[in-house]
Order: sequence, then C-alpha cells, then structure tokens
Amino acid sequence: MIITKKALPRRTFLRGLGATLALPLLDAMIPAATAAVLTPARPVRRLGYVFMPMGCDQTRWLPGRTGPLGDLPPILESLAPHKDQITVLSNLELRNAYPGSHATSNAAFLSAAKAKHTESSDYYLGTTADQLAAKQIGSETQLPSLELSMDMLQTTGQCDNGYACVYQNNLSWSSPTTPLPSEAHPRVVFERLFGEGGSRAERQAALRRRASLLDLVADDLAGLKLGLGAADRTRVSEYLETVREVERRIQRAEAETAANNLPPDLERPLGVPALYADHARLMFDLQVLAWQGDITRVITFQLARETSNRTYPEIGVSDPHHPLSHHGNDPDKIARMAKINAHHVSLFAYFLDRLRHTPDGDGSLLDHSALLYGSGIGNPNVHDHTDLPIIVAGGGLGGLKHGRHIRYEQATPLANLHLTLLDKVGVQIDSFADSNGRANELFTPLSV
Amino acid sequence: MRFRSGVQFPLSMAVLAVVMPGREPVRADLGAFVDEHCLDCHDSGHSRSDLSLEGLDYSRPGTNPEVWERVLRKLEHRLMPPVDKSRPDEGSYRHMTGYLTAELDRAAAAHPQPGRTDALRRLNRTEYQNAVRDLLGVEIDATTLLPQDEPAHGFDNVMIGNLSPTLMDRYVGAAQKVARLAVGASALAPGGDTFRVRPEVTQEQQVDGLPPGTRGGLRIPYQFLQDGEYEISVRLVRDRNEMVEGLRQPARVEFLLDRDRLAEFTVQPPGDDKNWEEVDRHLVHRATVAAGPHELAVTFPQAPTALFETVREPYVSRFNIFRHPRTVPAVYQVTITGPFSPRGPGDTPSRRRLFAPLAGLKPGANDDARAHAILAPLLRSAYRRPVVEADFRGPMQLFREGCAEQGFDLGVERAVSAVLVNPQFLFRVEREPAGAAPGTVHAITDLELASRLAFFLWSSVPDDELLDTAVRGELRRPEVLERQVHRMLADDRARNLVTNFAAQWLHLRALEAVKPDERLFIDFDDNLRSALRTETELFVASVLEEDRSVLDLISADYTYLNERLARHYGISHVIGSRFRRVSFADDPARQRGGLLRQGSLLTVTSYATRTSPVIRGKWILDNVLGTPPPPPPPDVPALDDKVVSASLPIRARLAAHRDKPACASCHNVIDPVGFALEQFDAVGRYRTLENFHPVDASGGLPDGSKFDGVAGLETALLARPELFAGTVVEKLFVFALGRGVTPQDAPAIRQIVRQSAPSHYRLSALIIGLVQSQPFQLRTTP
Repeated sequence: MIITKKALPRRTFLRGLGATLALPLLDAMIPAATAAVLTPARPVRRLGYVFMPMGCDQTRWLPGRTGPLGDLPPILESLAPHKDQITVLSNLELRNAYPGSHATSNAAFLSAAKAKHTESSDYYLGTTADQLAAKQIGSETQLPSLELSMDMLQTTGQCDNGYACVYQNNLSWSSPTTPLPSEAHPRVVFERLFGEGGSRAERQAALRRRASLLDLVADDLAGLKLGLGAADRTRVSEYLETVREVERRIQRAEAETAANNLPPDLERPLGVPALYADHARLMFDLQVLAWQGDITRVITFQLARETSNRTYPEIGVSDPHHPLSHHGNDPDKIARMAKINAHHVSLFAYFLDRLRHTPDGDGSLLDHSALLYGSGIGNPNVHDHTDLPIIVAGGGLGGLKHGRHIRYEQATPLANLHLTLLDKVGVQIDSFADSNGRANELFTPLSV
Repeated sequence: MRFRSGVQFPLSMAVLAVVMPGREPVRADLGAFVDEHCLDCHDSGHSRSDLSLEGLDYSRPGTNPEVWERVLRKLEHRLMPPVDKSRPDEGSYRHMTGYLTAELDRAAAAHPQPGRTDALRRLNRTEYQNAVRDLLGVEIDATTLLPQDEPAHGFDNVMIGNLSPTLMDRYVGAAQKVARLAVGASALAPGGDTFRVRPEVTQEQQVDGLPPGTRGGLRIPYQFLQDGEYEISVRLVRDRNEMVEGLRQPARVEFLLDRDRLAEFTVQPPGDDKNWEEVDRHLVHRATVAAGPHELAVTFPQAPTALFETVREPYVSRFNIFRHPRTVPAVYQVTITGPFSPRGPGDTPSRRRLFAPLAGLKPGANDDARAHAILAPLLRSAYRRPVVEADFRGPMQLFREGCAEQGFDLGVERAVSAVLVNPQFLFRVEREPAGAAPGTVHAITDLELASRLAFFLWSSVPDDELLDTAVRGELRRPEVLERQVHRMLADDRARNLVTNFAAQWLHLRALEAVKPDERLFIDFDDNLRSALRTETELFVASVLEEDRSVLDLISADYTYLNERLARHYGISHVIGSRFRRVSFADDPARQRGGLLRQGSLLTVTSYATRTSPVIRGKWILDNVLGTPPPPPPPDVPALDDKVVSASLPIRARLAAHRDKPACASCHNVIDPVGFALEQFDAVGRYRTLENFHPVDASGGLPDGSKFDGVAGLETALLARPELFAGTVVEKLFVFALGRGVTPQDAPAIRQIVRQSAPSHYRLSALIIGLVQSQPFQLRTTP
C-alpha cells in the first residue's frame, strides 16, 4: 500500500510495507553477535522508545530468575524468537512520577522529571531523553525525531488528577515547556516522511514549493512583533526559530531525497486500518521506513495513552483497559489485563522482527538501533511507579549484550538507563533527571 | 493598576458604571463568622485543609479576592461548613454571602482587573476549518490536516500559544492542500481517499439523506479537485472468516452521484470454488465528474422482505460479527481515486467566489491587476482588518512564480497558499497600546473586539458586516454590539456554539470514544451513538435558536428523537430516521427531556459495563454546579480488601469506599449526586431494576438537600437558578476569552448573571452580558 504500484492481494494489503519492502531473509540475516564481537564500542545510530500504557501484570511479565533468559513468561512469550536481542530489566523506578497518577506515568517515562501540577498553560516538565538524543543525532536528518501514537480521538475534560492533558498525551518534550504532539494517522505520518510520495523528482519539487512558502512566513513574522510586550516579542522570535527549523528540515529532505536507499516510488497508505493490531503494525512499518530512509533517527511511539479505555475484542478482551488495570487484585481481571499486555508486547516483537530483517550497513537496522520498551507504571492497580516493566533491545553493534534478565537489588532510577542509552548516541551529560549512575550492566558479557 | 489617560474610553466607562450597583451597604462581622464556623478546620496548623483563614484582615475582604472569592463560592453553594458539622442558619448564610459579594464587587469596581488574554493565539483546528470555509467556500476536515489541540480548562482554544516545528510544517501542508481544493490548478498525480463505515454501524435502515427505498451504505460529501475521471471502488464488510457478511443471495449495490444513479451492480455469493475474495472485486466504476463539491453515495436497494417489518425483542444490532452476524451485506469502505486524464479546474463555487472581483475590472487588465483584485477581499477577511499594500507583497510574489510556471490559475493557487500560512492569518494578535506602563488597563481595539466576537460565536473570522462596523468605530456602542450579537446568533455559523462550545462543555466529544460492553448492551451500535449525539445537539440548538432560558437545558419537557433513539428509550410512534421534536408536556411521569435525561451524557459518564455514580456526580458538580470536587489523592487505596459481589447494586459496592475516611470526605459529596441518576443505565435507558434489585435513586446535593431520582435532582439544581446560570457563564467565559476564570473575574461573572435574571437567564442575555463585560472588552498590559 505504500510502495508498490501493483495491486496487492487483500490479505497482504495491511501488511503492505512488510510484504513489499523486506528483502529476502538471507540478505538480512547477518548474525549480530559476530558483528558485535568484531566492533564492540561503536555508537548506536538510532534510538526508539515504545511506551506501553498502564503497567502490566508483573507476575506474568517477570522472568522467573535473573541471568540468561530461559522460557519466557506469558506476557513476553511472543519475544521468544528475539530472546538473544532483548534484556529484561527489573526494579527500575520513576521517583518523580509520584504522587502517583496516569498523567505522571506518561510524562515521566522519558523525562524522569516531576510534572508541575497544573491544568493550565504554565505546565512544566523536563526535556525528554529522546529529545536530547534528537539534538545530538537528529540534526543531520530531515526530521530530528518522530512522535507517534495510536489514539485518533482526543481526550477532553477528563485529564488526570488536575494535570493538564499535555502530560498524558505527549511522551516527548523538546524543552520543559514544549510538548511535541504525536501523530496516529498513517497517511499523515507517511506524508511527513515522504510528502505526497511519487517519484524522486516530484518529491523534490514539492519540497522546494514548501521552502518558498516558509520564506514568506519568516519575512512576515517580524511584522508580528509590533505592539507586543517583551515576553511576546520573545515568543515571536521563538516562532521564527521554529520556522527556520522547518526550513532546515526541508533543505535536508531535499538533499536526502536525491540520495537515499528508499525505493524510488512511494505510494501513500490511504486510511486507518480498522483493527488495532493492523494499525499498530502499519505504524511500526512506517518507523522501519523512516529509519531505512534515514529520515529520522529518533522515534517515540505510544501504544495507547494512559487511562485509555480501548477494548481489544480481537484478543477476547472486551473490557476497557483502564478500569481493568485497576483490577482490585481480582485474578480474573488480572488475567484479562495480562492478555492486553501480551498483545502489546507481541506488536513490539513484530517491530523487532522487521528491524532484524532489514539490512543496514554491516548489520541489520536492529543491530544499529537501541530500543527501549516499557511503561511508567509498575502495578497499575495502585498507580505505582516502582518495579517498572522495562525491556532494552537491539544495538548489538553498539556493544549491548542481550539474552538475560537483570534485576537491580535496590530500586534504581529509570533515568540511569536513559543516561546509558544517551551515552551510546554521543550525548555527553553527567546525569539525567534523578539518575544516580549508569546501567552499564547492559554491556557486560552474558556469561556473568 | 491605573487607567491610561488620553485614550478614548466612552464605552469602558459605561461598563464601569454598571458595576456599582446602588445597593445599601451590608455590614457583617466576618471575623466572628469565620471564628465560629471555619477556624476549627481552616486554621494555619490544621493538616486537613490547604486553606488557612487564620489571621487575615477580616475588615477588608475586597483586598484579598484569592481567598474570599473561594470562601464566597463555598458559602454560596452551602458547601461549607460540611453538612455533618454545625452550620449557620439560612439567614446567616444569606447575610454573609451578601456582605462578601458587596465587598468584593465594590473593590473590583474601584480597581478593575479585566485580566489578560494572551497576545498571541494560534487558530486551533476547528477555527482553521471554519475560517477556510468562510474565506474560500471550501469544506475541509481539519482533523486530517492538523494535529489536535491540547485542551485546558475544558476547552481546546485555551492553550494555543505554542508553535512547534511539527505544527508549522502541518500548517504549510494544509495551506497547500486547501489552496489546491479552492483553485484546482496544480497538476498532480492521481491521489486517493478512503472512507470507511465504522464497523458498528448497522446498515439495515435508510441512511439519513439517501433516497427512500435504500438501506445502508454511506454518503460522502467530497470535493473533486478537477474535471476529470475518478475511479470509485467499494469493498463489502467481511467476517472473521473473510466471507462477505450476509451475502446469502444475490444483492444489488448502487453508486449515486448527487442522488442520481451512477452505476449498478449485482454481487453474487461465490460458486463452488468458495472464492469470497472475488465476489465484490467488480464494484469499481470510473466516471467523469465535474470539479467541485459533490455527494457520492454507495447504498443498497431495500429488498422487499417482510423480515424487517416484524418486531423482534430485544432489538439486536448486527454490528457484532462475533455474536450477531449481519443478515444483509454492508459497505466496508469506499475509495475515490483520481483525477485521471484531468481536464482543468472547471467551475466550482470556490472559484466563482474567488474570481468574482474580476467582474469589476476593466477589460484588458493585466495579470497583476487581476491577481491584486482577487487578493484584496481575501486578505481583508483572512487578516481580519483593512489591508495595506505591504500585505500583497508575499502573495503576489508567489502569484508571479506560479503564473510564470503554469499560468494565471496556478499563480492564484500559490497566492492563496501564501495567505493561509501568513502569521497574520494563523495568529490572533492583541497588541499593547504604545507606551503603556505594565499593568495598564486598556480597551482592546474595535477590530480586536470584532475578532473576539467572531471567534466566540462562530469560531471563525469576522464577516464583512462585522469588520465594516468595527472599522467605522461603531462596534463599541452597546446597542450596536447587541444588534450584532443577535445577528450573529441568528446566523448558521452560530451552530458552532452547539457543535464546538457545548460539545466540549458537556463532554459530548467523548461519545465518539465510548464503547459500551457488547455483551451487556447488545443493541449499542454506531447508529445509536450518532443518534444520541444528534439528540443533544438539536436540543441545545433549540435553546440557542429559540433563545430560551438556559434553565431549560435542565428542566425542558421536550427532546428530539428519531426511530432508532425512540426505540432505545422505549418511546413508541416515532417512525423513520428523521429527528423531530417530541414533547412530554402532559406527562407527569416523563422519563425524557432536559440534559440530565439524555442518553449521550448518561453514556459518557458511565463505564463500559455499568453506571458510575462517581463520574456522573463529578460531571454535575463540574459542569452544572460549577464546584468541581478536588482531585483524588494520588495514592488511591485499592478497594480489593472489600471485594463485594458484582451482583450487588452499585450503591452497595460504592458504600465500601465511602466507609474509608480517606475516600469518604469527598465521595460523600460526589456519590449522592450521581445516585439520583441511577434510574438510567450505562447507555441511558430508563430502568427500574438493576441486576434484579429495585433501583434506589435517592440522592442529595452537597448543600444537604435530599431527593429522589432525576426529577428531584433537577428541582434541587434549579432551586437556586443563579448557580447554574453562573456555571454556564463561566464556561462561556473560558471559551470566549481563551483563558481560565480567576477570582478577579468573579465580580464580572456575578454581574452578568444578575443582569440576565430579569430575562430569566436567556442564553442571548448571558452572551450579551458577557460581551459587554470588562473582561471581554478590556485588557491589562503585562
């Protein structure tokens, strides 16, 4: 549906990208471990963050013991083919998400910061890890980062415990006061990545037209400052910076359209798949394409927002997720919630599969990309932000060692892990939010 | 705080004069009252309260509105002292609220603090969509073009000062698309749009707007870009085995363009090969369509069968493929692809409108002069002010580029896109008067006032008449302003107050996302969802259009029903898909009427499987009474140690958490409000039994009043009509001004309510009071 001009059979329609872009498996199956041994200390090229809402059933998430991964627990079962590419980390926490709530779970997941308790536009959080990474490795790509989600309908009037909806909706913040809205519509995401598609020449001409429009905007913004106070004039200057940023992106896109390894003709996806899983897989496909075309190197993806009342009848769960997550220790409800958790994980497994089978230089996209999958809540029944479900995957060529369960003896800030991943993309900072160290265990050889 | 001198102030002074009511000064001993009724809890050392009333200056409460407006609100609503503590008698309550009101109002009149709406406010998604409609005559779905706006204070037009690169990027893309829709000049590769019917739509009845004798399908208002050929293809709904649902005998499918038949097909069940993949493959038709807005429809002729005439109970919708497969085929999606072999932009309403100024030009005018003539009225409307020559520079530059590339039309298209990305269009700007000191109170300009009015009542740009009035400097004259408001309210665009303002205020937008449990509510399909929304929209619109009292929103004895909804409500003799007004005026035991009896609100305040008296109670406290309960504590203790049988009535289950002191202090206030609506189930049906237990709908309000059922609740809510009217004004205030209500705004809001009391709180009186108020007309420099 994105690439080919040939008709696709209906059964493969929704898998369009997967079916048409993946190269034969043999080409892609470069054994990551071998390559990693050869070049142990390279930086990671890309970072991906996948957010799972409202925690999970920890008893069905945690592997029975620490060390090498044996049989995977029920929620993680779908990751079995990629056991050698994942590490389960437990006993990580988000201290700054307290007092516990859904808004702060989402807000703290990538910022590890305390959200200012307000419903109004004086919201204040912290710059999120993905955005620090984007500043470092995103400057050369068309989009510094890509923010994606799955919820097409906005929440109104229901934001959590007196927190502005921005906290609950936005995972990524480019500054403590700038939440970055995410996009859930596949066609819109496609158009941001590739414009309206078409041939290379058409894509470049379209970019030039955008650039000339933006030139005008920049000229006219200055006029806006007349008669404004100092603070508002500063704001207009920020707008101008925003416009310049978009211009830079377009210039980069123009340069890259000329020479990247994407197929020459790209066709847009049209609608939104009706089934959640199809929609999610399409969003993952787009992420693979964005990385494959080097259009961006940092992606965040919210599988559903906190307090989502989405039901999953396709896996036999017709209860809305949020009330189910406040299960009151009812075993039946926990079991149904765990089905949702496992469903989300299985979609992540699909993403790993796609990345692993897409070649990239001397390895696969997965070898060159580190991924963090997890939630800002541990036990959702009580809005708990300790013992978070967290998985790190990929990045083998950056020296990440996988295939095990690491449990911290003491509750350890999730920020340590953020800091470690930021290290790997070259962000040089001594600490991040409430970090008190680094998760260097990720690099120690498996035999320990 | 001081007034600037030397600036014209005729109207704002007039506003000030009304603030000072000629009432007798009230005297009261606030200190003694606080000491007797408040300080037990609200002292500085007490842990249970964040509000200390100890050691304040009780002689001049007007100087401290942050504290005393809060106290006044609690006393006005009889929320404090709590019902189980010793409370003042009604006379003391009235005396003290009268005193505080007078003191606070007097202080506000002496030192007006009209507040400050942000200087830079971006058009939000709805405003952008409406503005494009009013500027260019093009209907767009902005949700596909722009990201959603973050709501704050309950509305999505409050937090709109930011501009991220993503958003800027999207505005650029949107401008190009809109300009292309309006002019249709740029050549493009055939594109596609796919329209899906929501899976829960039952397609057994006539779709509203399609010809009688048809059933199901969908109607697509669509703007065709150019004259040319378009391919329309249709797929039918399949079940989980990938078979076309309900296809047991040959079925006919029709494509309609503007209600005329475009093509007709027959779909046959597969032969022995069971090849379901191919049965609807031939539902493709290529047609020549003229550019512009058309209505494409795909539907089925209604088969003459007695089956659907029989009454079956319960009514079972066909949407649930897992349990109730459809009996007849249904449309899954329609894709429109094109234009193939395009033959130019054609003659569309938007082009006629855009090019109209050319008629006034001398023959032989050159391209630049023609483009200039086209742009002049567009720029004025888009920038909401008289144009100056500099405004033409950018658009004309793009015009010349486009003109050179591919001729006049493409030039105009590029110029239109330049207007649509201009910050003068995208931002509403309110400027500070030159040289004003910080904290100066000043009147906004007439043009700014025109924009405030238009964005409040229409969520769109001002029209010519409003701009002309502002340019003439007449808009501030109270009688002119009032006339303009009445004119604007009578305009179709005022429907925005229903679909935008009320939909957000009442949480109607959340209806799209609710998913009642399919097993418990087997008849909840998308037809019902849309009927529920339509009922409330038509109902609110009736209050707006007939200029009724806002109290009718609660107390009305009529509503709007179609057959689907009437069946849901158990009301007979309402036949057909058309909505009509149904009165229950003579029915003392009526079940339907005002908002609190409407399925839409009762559903959005419920869980998927059951009602939630907590959410319903909070909804009423927030949106009807204007006294939102505090947010729950972050470490909500679980209910698990008292897991009670799910078969017990919800009241019994909630009793468990009201036993916990940590929960009880708030839930004792919230829950009883919601209990009064227990006569309505989680999808708004009337009931007398809940899980085989008789419904107990006894409830109460935080002021201590007790009653039974929705009728009692309505009576109690309207016992003091000024409280509900005040809430409506506050909600209108947030929406109109794009900012939250502060304690400093309370005197102005009280005044609006007082002024509208003689007209029995007509909606127009509230709106006129609001636009005449200081916060709407004045502003403070930063």
